[in-house]
Amino acid sequence: MEERRKAIQDRIREEAKELLSKKAVDLIIGFGEWTLPLRTTPIFVRNPEGADHLIWNSFCENNLATYLHKFSHFKVGVVAKGCDARSIVALSLEKRFKPDQLYLIGVPCQRMVDRRRVKKAVKGEILHAHEQGDQIIAEGEDFRTELKRDDFLYPSCRVCTHRTPTQANVLVGDPVEESPLAEAHPEVKEFEKKSQEDRWRYFEKESNRCIRCYACREACPMCYCTECFVDSSNPKWIEKGFSASDLEFYHIIRAYHQAGRCSGCGACERACPMEIPLTYFTQKLNQDVKELFNFETGIDPEAPPPLSTYQTEDRQEFIK
Amino acid sequence: MKLKLDKKDLGSFLQNLMDEYDLFAPVQLAEGVSVYKKIDHPGEVDLSTSNPQKPAKEVFFPQSETMFRYGKSGKQNEMVSTEEVIRERILFGARPCDIQAVSITDEVFLGKEYTDVYYLNKRKTTTIIGMACDHPLSTCFCSSTSGGPFLRKGSDLFFTDLGESFLVELLTEKGMAFLKNKFFKEANTKEISLAEGIEEKALKMTDASVPVEGIDKRLDLMVESPFWGRLHEKCIGCRVCTYLCPTCHCFDIMDETMTNGGQRVRNWDSCLSPLYSQETSGHNPRPTNRERTRQRIMHKFNYFPKNFGRAACVGCGRCILYCPVHFDIRQAINWTSAKRLKLQRGEHSTNP
Amino acid sequence: MANAIESNWEPKILAFLCNWCSYAGADLAGTSRIQYPPNIRVIRVPCSGRINPLFILKALQSGIDGVLVSGCHPGDCHYLSGNYIGRRKSATLKRFLEYLGFEEGRVQFSWVSAAEGGKFSQVVDEVTQDIKKLGPAKRFVKREDYRGPGAKGSSENPKNLNP
Repeated sequence: MEERRKAIQDRIREEAKELLSKKAVDLIIGFGEWTLPLRTTPIFVRNPEGADHLIWNSFCENNLATYLHKFSHFKVGVVAKGCDARSIVALSLEKRFKPDQLYLIGVPCQRMVDRRRVKKAVKGEILHAHEQGDQIIAEGEDFRTELKRDDFLYPSCRVCTHRTPTQANVLVGDPVEESPLAEAHPEVKEFEKKSQEDRWRYFEKESNRCIRCYACREACPMCYCTECFVDSSNPKWIEKGFSASDLEFYHIIRAYHQAGRCSGCGACERACPMEIPLTYFTQKLNQDVKELFNFETGIDPEAPPPLSTYQTEDRQEFIK
Repeated sequence: MKLKLDKKDLGSFLQNLMDEYDLFAPVQLAEGVSVYKKIDHPGEVDLSTSNPQKPAKEVFFPQSETMFRYGKSGKQNEMVSTEEVIRERILFGARPCDIQAVSITDEVFLGKEYTDVYYLNKRKTTTIIGMACDHPLSTCFCSSTSGGPFLRKGSDLFFTDLGESFLVELLTEKGMAFLKNKFFKEANTKEISLAEGIEEKALKMTDASVPVEGIDKRLDLMVESPFWGRLHEKCIGCRVCTYLCPTCHCFDIMDETMTNGGQRVRNWDSCLSPLYSQETSGHNPRPTNRERTRQRIMHKFNYFPKNFGRAACVGCGRCILYCPVHFDIRQAINWTSAKRLKLQRGEHSTNP
Repeated sequence: MANAIESNWEPKILAFLCNWCSYAGADLAGTSRIQYPPNIRVIRVPCSGRINPLFILKALQSGIDGVLVSGCHPGDCHYLSGNYIGRRKSATLKRFLEYLGFEEGRVQFSWVSAAEGGKFSQVVDEVTQDIKKLGPAKRFVKREDYRGPGAKGSSENPKNLNP
């Protein structure tokens, strides 16, 4: 596993160097090391020498597709995991950038580690952490804990069935076996067993922690509206205060606006400072879109977005 | 004379206080997530985190606050003020960084010319019981911002966690009013020296190397530096840093209209939102993320020091811990130091 | 549940009717003097595909007890495919709301043509009975009325987490 990660990292750097030397792109967006353990940060490389700062490990959790909006005037090379690549396909379907503006460096993903779960599994602050084989070694002031990597993956990564980018300009590793570690959308199936009353209470409890920081919205590559519905004052859908109803409204609609567009990357959940389990919304919507319309975001670049098309035989058993 | 409170008496101590005061303390909302809230019973208090996500400024400057209500009651027009604070309050368990931040927000809301009555009413009715930071995190740099894990300034009472008990120091007149509290006992020399040892250890743990000193002068030279064009790149423009920052104080006032009346509400706002500086004409003086991130740094480390003599940062490290893209303000501050500025012009953009 | 419903509580139901079919069908029910429960308030929209989930949520938030969306039968849409798109959006939204814990039956959908005055009244009757069984809407409702000094306004409710 170690070798695989290193090989991918080397290939990413090679690819970046070549693209930048040939001036095929203006910049490369990838991951770099920064100050905290268990984390990487998005970096923006403009010279071939800078390519050595690009890294690859199990903490490359951000969806870099979200930067395409910011850098829409440039030719950009992006390091993309399976989910990120699917977001990019969805964005190109929505014509957010010209096809020749983007060079997709596809990385078959080994699944990302949930740094919050790792932090909660140890007593004390983690000062250093690194991967070793299939383990995470977390070290603090007075402890050194070895954790099995597969026990600490993000929920969205555990159920992922498309870890290999399908539409990349280059794949920097061998495609991975696509069996999920957990049954597709297990949280959804578990959750659906609960009573309506319980489900509502859970939704209320989780969504009411929201502080309207919009980290979920900004981290999501599909949220790029110049005026988000929350900022609309005429009509004013919701206020900017904290009525429970408005908080719930925000989350229902933000999730709903991703129906048929969400790649299930989990960036929203990872960005939330209040640890709201946002993927329990998106997984349900993705599951329904698959079941109802046989559509999965970002798999077929020719397939039209499901909510702007139809089949005459679409299901309608719920309509009187 | 130093006092102590046995941990087994903490619940009763707090319950006793709640008879007279509204008690605000850190409360856990989910595993690893806590905020300052008014508590209904002492069991809610969670002192296990190094710092709650949301800062203590919330107690004086709530995230959403009704300023007044207006409407019709029968045929009469009414306006109802909501500025009064009826009960005295206690802020319990705030760390020295959050308390130092309160003195910074005091500069803004309790100025010589303008006094914010909503903030003032809460501030003057609150007694602050600070909690020493016995185990700062590696992201804490309060020592770089004239603070420290055992900074007592701003606290009326100051607690230090000794394991089985808290050392209690009464620091101000408000604090001395608790001298006869039935739960406080006299601390013995062993406990006092234990506290001193914890303090000594903690003082070594925070980062005093971040060059906040003199940053305002360095930033004066950098307003149009290409530095900003690189610094903002990874920022996604969410509001996490501003909302979790104990000194950030921007707000938005809106009228919420209802069927037969309404209310005026003040909510936290963020300079990182494009709408924040959007003018009615459509012009936006901070049109891109570059201008907005520059503004944030300049406000904290240049404009505020010019107005009030100190940086609007207490080194709590929340912005570092919770930023979705791992923006590190310590790095940004480091890069403003003159030596680095020369270097960075030749460097690639991974090092803005 | 029966205790919660006072015997004289009447649900308020919002009906979004497409102009070309369902609204005309409702008109026909009226001109044919077919009786149906008076609980619905009608909003005429050009097409069932116009329905934005924001409308439905805003209605529920305002205290509306039930929402009915009605359009032309598949194949009969005046705008050719509006109702097909509306069908997809409705299916997705309905499933999502029920998953989150909204009561099943608060938001309902129907196809009613301009000639189906009878069907319209039947649909309204069914929907009204369903909503009556569910009781007044409590989940998600936001207070929106000012009620005198010290009244709790829309931004304050027991779940407000701010001090």
